[in-house]
Formats: sequence, structure tokens, C-alpha cells
Amino acid sequence: MASVKLTNVKKIYDKNVVAVHDFNLDIKDKEFVVFVGPSGCGKSTTLRMIAGLEEISEGTVEIDGEVVNDLQPKDRGIAMVFQNYALYPHMSVYDNIAFSLRLKKIPEDVIYEKVTKAAEILGITEYLMRKPRALSGGQRQRVAIGRAMVRDSKVFLMDEPLSNLDAKLRNQMRAEIILLRQKLDTTFIYVTHDQTEAMTLADRIVIMKDGFIMQVGSPDEVFDMPDNLFVAEFIGAPKMNIVKTQLVLEGGKYYVTPFGAKIPVDGDKGKALSDRKIKPGPVLLGVRPEHIELAKAADHAIPCTLVVDEMMGSELHLHVDTEDGSRLIVRVPTLDLSKEERKQLVAGAKLHITFEGKAMHLFDPETEKNLLA
Amino acid sequence: MKKNETAKRHMGLRALNRASNTAIYILLIIISIIWLIPFVFIVLQSFRVESTYQVGYVIPHQWGLQNYINLWNSDFKRWYLNTFIIALASAVLVTVIQLCMSYTLSRFRFKLRGPLMRFMLILGMFPGMLTMIILYRVLADLGLTQANAVPGLILVGCASSGMGYYVSKGFFDTIPKSLDEAARVDGATRLQVLYKIILPLAKPIVIYTILTAFMGPWGDYVFARYVAFGTSAGYNVAVGMYSWLTNDQIARMYTTFCAGGVIVAVPVTILFLCLQKYYVEGVTGGAVKG
Amino acid sequence: MKQYSDLEFLRLSKWQKFVYRLVSFFCSIPRAIGRFFKNIGGYIKKAALAVVNELRDIGVTFVHGDWKTKVSYVVMGFGNMARGQVLRGLLFLIFEVVFIFYMITAGGHWMSMLPSLGKVGPTQEYDAILDTYTTVYNDNSFKILLYGVLTIFFIVAFIYTWRLNVKQNKLAEQFLKSGKKLKSDKDDLRSMVDEQFYKTLLALPLTGILVFTVLPIVFMILVAFTNYDGAHNGFSNNLFTWVGLDNFNTLFSWKSAGGGQSYSATFGEILAWTLIWAFLATFTNYFLGMFVAMMINKKGIHLKKMWRTILVMTVAIPQFISLLYVSKMFARNGLINLTLLDWGWIKQPLPFWEDATWARISVILINVWIGIPYLMLITTGILMNIPADLYESARIDGANAWQQYTKITLPYMLFITGPYLLTSFTGNMNNFNVIYLLTGGAPTNPAASGAAGSVGYTDLLITWLFKITTGAESQYYLASVVGIMVFVVVALISLVVYNVLPSIKNEEDFQ
Repeated sequence: MASVKLTNVKKIYDKNVVAVHDFNLDIKDKEFVVFVGPSGCGKSTTLRMIAGLEEISEGTVEIDGEVVNDLQPKDRGIAMVFQNYALYPHMSVYDNIAFSLRLKKIPEDVIYEKVTKAAEILGITEYLMRKPRALSGGQRQRVAIGRAMVRDSKVFLMDEPLSNLDAKLRNQMRAEIILLRQKLDTTFIYVTHDQTEAMTLADRIVIMKDGFIMQVGSPDEVFDMPDNLFVAEFIGAPKMNIVKTQLVLEGGKYYVTPFGAKIPVDGDKGKALSDRKIKPGPVLLGVRPEHIELAKAADHAIPCTLVVDEMMGSELHLHVDTEDGSRLIVRVPTLDLSKEERKQLVAGAKLHITFEGKAMHLFDPETEKNLLA
Repeated sequence: MKKNETAKRHMGLRALNRASNTAIYILLIIISIIWLIPFVFIVLQSFRVESTYQVGYVIPHQWGLQNYINLWNSDFKRWYLNTFIIALASAVLVTVIQLCMSYTLSRFRFKLRGPLMRFMLILGMFPGMLTMIILYRVLADLGLTQANAVPGLILVGCASSGMGYYVSKGFFDTIPKSLDEAARVDGATRLQVLYKIILPLAKPIVIYTILTAFMGPWGDYVFARYVAFGTSAGYNVAVGMYSWLTNDQIARMYTTFCAGGVIVAVPVTILFLCLQKYYVEGVTGGAVKG
Repeated sequence: MKQYSDLEFLRLSKWQKFVYRLVSFFCSIPRAIGRFFKNIGGYIKKAALAVVNELRDIGVTFVHGDWKTKVSYVVMGFGNMARGQVLRGLLFLIFEVVFIFYMITAGGHWMSMLPSLGKVGPTQEYDAILDTYTTVYNDNSFKILLYGVLTIFFIVAFIYTWRLNVKQNKLAEQFLKSGKKLKSDKDDLRSMVDEQFYKTLLALPLTGILVFTVLPIVFMILVAFTNYDGAHNGFSNNLFTWVGLDNFNTLFSWKSAGGGQSYSATFGEILAWTLIWAFLATFTNYFLGMFVAMMINKKGIHLKKMWRTILVMTVAIPQFISLLYVSKMFARNGLINLTLLDWGWIKQPLPFWEDATWARISVILINVWIGIPYLMLITTGILMNIPADLYESARIDGANAWQQYTKITLPYMLFITGPYLLTSFTGNMNNFNVIYLLTGGAPTNPAASGAAGSVGYTDLLITWLFKITTGAESQYYLASVVGIMVFVVVALISLVVYNVLPSIKNEEDFQ
């Protein structure tokens, strides 16, 4: 149970390849922080620097106020779950979980106590005598978590723990990690490339790209107010539609003009624009698929042609082409459609779409920063 | 009609396959004969008692154990013991040294790792025989030559064995590094990682290394001959038995050589066949990755 | 030469592509060598800069250091001990004491003798009591050279350690200044099995390599510049001394040495045969081994394990037995000749070892017999690792068995075994056992009788080297020169292959 503080942490390989630039983050006690980003963004490297598995090129890492840069992994009070589980193949499940306790020379009866308790929580009691190779992916994952659990560590590190599982099992284990978190009540740092995992698990998300932090914030914050284009496109599925367009100011009111339509930027966003005296000009307009609606032909509706319709069950993903050839994705809840309307949604159908000003995200085309952030 | 044709084509394919399989069987049988026949001959000739020189037939006219009795009465016992001691000692020492080296180069990333590996690569390009001259003189100064050749041969044979780290490093490289990392997070020192995690997993390569280190000295001719030169008591089997096939001895000792060959080859071959699995694993797993 | 872009290359005919590849391969050789020498320039510059930096750092540390650091410049390890790292300090101090003691008692003497390699050879002294002359051994060139080299090693080690001692003082001062704690002796000991475990592990192997490989090689390289041989053994008959590049001149001179042809012609002949042998030995084994492996691996062949075991068994039998036996089997009065004569198939014994061409072909064929099992094992493993779907897709695309082999199996094998082929090639160049045990280099080459050792038509450089050192004359200096030449050839080949084959360059590619 501890705080983790990273100050100006850098990772430089071979003198010139910089994997992590100037990483600053304050993780509070018992917080669940998720590092998320595409592969090669430096998220795992950062985690491994916290764990002591990679040397820290510059800056300091503190755990519970103590600088741990020069400490061995075992002396940092951490536990870690690896992507490929890293179970010791020659040891039984019991021995795997007991390994760290035996190294600490804890009496066997205490070890027994702890291991069986952890096994019970994870539901792997009946496999304790098996070797890892006789277990399924999900069971191995539980053993790996169990091994980390019994260490009573201050910080719990997880490096893409679910990425080797199939989709169904991944959802199930995700829920179990949330339960586990409630039981363990310790600080978690979790690395993933999957934004859904990040959104569902995190108290705070750290979004990274090319070694830089793009944004730090709660799931709500990064979803509602992405700092920049990268975060906007990375968070949310299907990803946000981005359209190059103009921001115009007419009679004190802001409008955007995508595809010839003229849509007012109203509500909070409009107010924020005028408060900040944003100059009209070219902008990148972002609209999430779920914020686009099908509409009747009207002066601010955008005509388009349906190219592909994907039935996802509870919702329908429509890929549409506007008249100038841009591809947009529209997400429509299945329940909103009558049978007749559904029937008409086949490739080639002519549609009109629209969206509201409050759902818009506006980015500077040069810096790709959110105009309102 | 059409059906008939396709049926024919299928028949053709099957017949072709059968023909090629038959050809392969015949080839394999020939190959097996070629590969085994010299060894069968050695065994047969070791039981020949009517003459001791080379003859134009294989099956002895008169069978007997005279050649083996000759072996027992010659210095062969001593040579055999010498070789066995050297083989045993190198099995232990070479294994320890090579595993230290290969484990380190596989697992640690230290500043001098690259230069060290390059340096050893370059060092390996010098013919090892070049060092014999000086090593012989040094051993001679230490009194470890001729009759005392055994400790000398062990010393020289094992000392530089670290340079042959390639095969076992290739194997260690296949053990995921995350196991080391997990163990280190779990509180193990590097030493504990080695003997609690890596060594149990590296059993095949440990056995491979022991096996090859044990087998090596049985065939070592050149350095042994250099170090023990002229003193029968210091010979190993290779040097000793080579002397039987020189022009002035061969007529007298040829069949004895065959008997000696059997005595040397049989135990080593049995040991090898028992551990064949590990040898194959080592060769295919490590040798090529280098 | 003209460089084609990818798209241009695709439009060439098959033949043009082949020629283009071949030409670019050979064109890249000079570039590779050039790059190597350019790199050498870079390294020298870097090294010079590093030395300057070190010197500056030593000076700066002294000027800015406290008194403990300054004392450490003379008394090594003093700073460590004064700051509580007793163990480290003691080790430094002991090393310094041992070094100084050695230099005074022995090292200085050996170093001073090194330029001359000894002045007084063995002398005859009159022994008045026994009324005889006895031989008194004075200087010993061999020992002077050996211990001289050792002393140089020792001096280098001392300079390095002294530098380390200075550096540690500097670091310790910095550490204490920034308020951190120094590592205690206990920390140091513990780190020997943890962070610094690699040093512990490497200590034994590297010491062995240093003493039993590096030192002898340095020594033998130096011998190439002396006249050390059986008649100048530096001890009981004549001392040996430095002769500069004379030995290299001998090896490369066109003058006839005694009878017959010159040294350089002999060397050239042996080198040519060595290269031909290495090439043929490597590739016959490689392709035939692969062929046997593929036959055994073929679907529908039964008793796979038995065929493999039969071949593998022969790996276990010590080579000297099988090679010597086979050598005698093919001898003039060996089993083969006697049997064939008995059967009346031949009138004269076949000259397996008496005729140069016969002997050369015989050693290559017998080497195939020796090598195939091993290659079969290696290739079996790789063949089984080729993804089966590659073959399936090739079959659907309409490739026949031969096309599957040339388009899938062979490229895959060559890529994976590239590094192995290189080591195998250089290994065959130095394949002493097969040649020496089979032929001993025979048949003798009369034209080369002037050269040291009795040179034969199947002699490789390595067996020649052996003969030179064991013959009556024991021309060690010449053996050294030949050894150096072997190194140069192997290094050149490796250098070219390493720089031309992309697959070998990166160690991690194969992991």
C-alpha cells in the first residue's frame, strides 16, 4: 500500500534511442493506474523501470517516498504479473505460488495458509498439484495473479496480463481483476494496449505514444475531453470520425461546415469557444460514431451513401461515404430502428446524418491539440 | 469416362509414391550397410586368431579371445584408465565452465559482453594447435608431461573450454527471460535464479554438455600425443592404439587394435545411445543457433 | 556497377537476376573490406580520444579530490578503506603489494631481458672436484619470452586496476557529497551472487582462456619473429633471438628452399588444397546430410527412429577408431584391395593412398561417411521446423517435389544454417583429425621436399603445421608463421561472409 512517484524518468537505449521521454507521474496510494498506448509507446518499459527490471537512464522512481532507482526488484516491495505468465514450468502450481515465500524463509505452515487462501480466492484450489503446462490459459493467468498476491506487496504491477487470452475469457478475467482489486486494496499499475481494458479498470489512465505521455486523466476525462487528436482517436470504439473543416464565426456564434452543411457549435462548447476567443479558421472536427444520428434531409443534414453495415447485436455500425468520398462510421442502437428502417439499411442506401454541437471535438490542424483543453 | 480418368490419375499418384518409397527404402538399407559395415568388420576381426595382420576376408577362420587377452597383457589397461580419468574430469570441469560462460552471455547484458564475444570469436580463428608448443613446455616445467600427462591433459583440455559456449548459449536463449524476471521480482538473487529456475529447465543441455565433454577425450589424439610423447604410461587410448598401426607394428597388432576398438567403442556408444535424446536436442536446439 | 531499384530488378530475366546477384556479391566484398578498415580508423580515433579523456579525468580527480583520494594515488585502496569499504581497499592494496614485489624480484629482470631474449647460452664449466666438465644452463630464451609477456600482461592489469582505484575514489566522493551511502563490505559480498553475479561466473572461464589461450597465442605470434626451433631451443643448445620479418620472407620467398620448389609455392599449393577441401567437405556433407534427413523424414517411411539411430550410433564411436580402421581398410594391403585381388577384379592394388588424386577423392568420400550422421541430425531438426503450411500452399500453387525443395526447403535451410555453414567451413579448414588419421598427409609431394616437415598432397595447413613442430628440426618459428596465415585466411573469409550475408549480422535475429 504505497504511493509511486516518477520524476523526469527517461529510458535511453544505446545512447541515442529514447524509449521514454521525461515521464512524470504521481500515483496515489491504492490508486489503479493504467498505462495504455499502441505497441512501442514505452508503456511496458516504464512499468519495467518501476519494477527494477530495466535500468532507469535518468530521473527517479520513488515508492512510498523512498528512491528505489538502485534497488533490486526484490527489494522494492512490488509484485508483478507478466504477459506470458512466466510460470516456472518445472514447479507445481503450489510451488509456483509458494516460491517467493520460501525465498523469504517463511515457515511452511504459514506458506500453506497463504497459498491455499489465495488459491481459494482465485478458484484454483483443485489445480494446486498440477504443473503449469496442464492448465488452460485462464487458469495459468490465475496462478500468475496468485503468485503476485501472496507477496503482500506495496505495489501490484501487471504487464498486459490479459492479452494472451481469448476475447470471452478476457472479459471474464477483467471483471475478476476488478473484484481482486477490491479485495487486495493496494496500488495497481496496469499496462495494456486495449483501450477497453483501460477504460473499465482504471481510476486514472495514462495514454502514451512514442515515449511521451499524451494525456493523464480519469476514464471520463479522457473520453469527454481528449487533450489531442491521438487520444481522441485512441479512446473509444469504433474510433472517432475526424473531418477536416472550417470553423466560422457569424454573429457571435460559431459554426462548423463539414461537407457543405453548417452545424452550430452550441451549448458548453460554443460558450467555451467564445470565452477563449478562438479565431475562426481550419479545424479538425471529431465526432464519435455514437454521437452521429440518422436524420431526414434538412439544411444541416449531411447526405451520404451506406457502404457497409455491420450488425453487432445491440448496435449497428454503418460505414458511410459522404459526397466528397470521406468515410464515416455511425453507430446506431438496434432498438432505435423499426423493422422497416432496418430493412432499408443495405449497401447503396442513401442516408442523411447529423450531429449536435455538444458532441463535437475541435482540434487545431497544426498542433493536433484540442482547442478547448 | 471422366470419373475413370481421375481415378487413373489417383492411381498414378499412389503408384508413384509407392515407387519412390521403395527407392528410398533401398537407399536407406544401402546407407545403413555402408555406415555399419566397418564396425561389424572391426568386431569380427577382433575375434580372429589365426593371423594378426590384415587379410582379404572378413569372417575369421578361427574364432578366439586371444586379441582381448593380448590387450589385457599390454599397456592398454593403463591407456584406458588414463582416458577414463580424463573423460570423467572434463565431464565435470568442462560442464561447469561452459555453463557458467553460456548462462552469463545469454542472461546478463554488461558493457563488455559484445566485445568479449567478438574477442572470443577472433581468438577461435587461431588454430588451437599453435598453442601446443608453449603449453607443452609450460606443462613440462610443471612436471605434467610424459608419465604425468593425465593431469596436464585435463588442465589444458578444460581451461579454455569456455570458448565453446555457443551450443549451450543457444539453448539458454530459448528459455524465456520473463522467468528470470518473475523470479527476481519474487525475491530470488541471480544465484538463486540460476539454480532454482534455470538449471532445472536446462537439464537437456546440461546432459548434452556432460556427454560431449565425456566423449571428447576418447578421440583426442593430437595434444595427447604431444604431451605424452614417447612415454607409454602417459598415453591415452588414441595415442596408444595409433602406435599399433604404424608400419612396423601393424602386422603384429592389427587384430589387437580391432579388439581395443571394440572395448573403447562399446561403452561410449551404449552411453551415447541411452542419452541420444538429449544429444539430438542439444545439436538441433543449440548448435545451429550458435 | 549499376544499382537496380526493386522494380527494375523484377523485370530482369532469371539469368540476368542471377548475374546481377553474383556481381553485386563480389562487388560488395571490397566494400566490406573497405568498411572494415574505415572502422579501424574510427576505432583508433575513438581509442586515442578515450586515452586523452582518461588522462584528463585522472588529473582532474587528483586536483579536486580530498586528501584520501590523493593518498590513494600512491597507496591503492586507501580511500576505500578510509571510507569504510575495507574489503575493496584491502584487495587493491594486496594487488599493489604483490605487483611491486613481483616487479622487483622477477618482473623487472624478465622485462630487461626481453629485447635480447638472453645473452649467455649454456656453458661448459670445469668441475674441480669431479674433474669433469659439466654443462651450466644460463639464460633461457623461452622463459624470458614467456615471463616477459606475462609481465606485460601484469603491468596492463596493474594500470587498469590503478585506474579503477582512482575512479572509485572519485565516485565515492561524489556519492558522499550527494548524501548517498556507500556500499558496505556486506553489500559487496552479496552483490557477487546478485547484480555482479556475472563477474563471479565469468572469473573461472575467463582466467582459463586468458592463461591457456590468449597468453600462448600472444607468445606464438611473437615466436614468428624469432628463430626458435629445434636447434635454437633457447635453453639447452642455443638461445634464440629476434629476427624481424625473416620468417615471413622465407615463407613468401620464391627462392627454392633446398630441393624442388620454393616455400611460397608449397604454401600456395597447401593453401589451395585446404580451401578446396574445406569447400567440398562442407557442402558434400551439407547436401548429402540434408538428403538423407529428407529421405528419413518423408511421409510414409516407416522405422524412422531405427534409420536415425543406425546413423547416429556412428557419431558415438571415437573418430580415431573409425578413421584409422577405414584408413587401413583402404591401404595397399588392406581389406578392400586384398578382397578385390582375391576375387580377381583387379590385377594391381588400387592406389587409394598412394596417388594424389585418389587420395584426395578418398578423404573427401570418407569424410562424407563421417559427417553425414551429424548433418542429418542438425538438418532433421530444422526441416521439421519448416512450417507445414508453406508446403501446403506451395502444393496448391502447383509446385512439384523438386520445386518445393528449391523454392522452400533450400532457402529456408540456407537462411537458418548460414552461420553454421561458416563455422563448419572454417572448422573443416582446421580439420586435423580426418586428414591426419586417414592419410597423415600422404602421398608425399616430392617437389616440396625442401620445405619443413614432409609435405604431402593431402596435407592441410593445420597438418603441415603439426608436422613442422614435430619433425626432427621442429621449426617452431615457421609453424607460428603458418598459424598466423591460417588465422588471416579464416578471418578474411569470415569477414567477407559476415559483411555480405545479412542474416548473420544480427545475433538477435536468430533468437
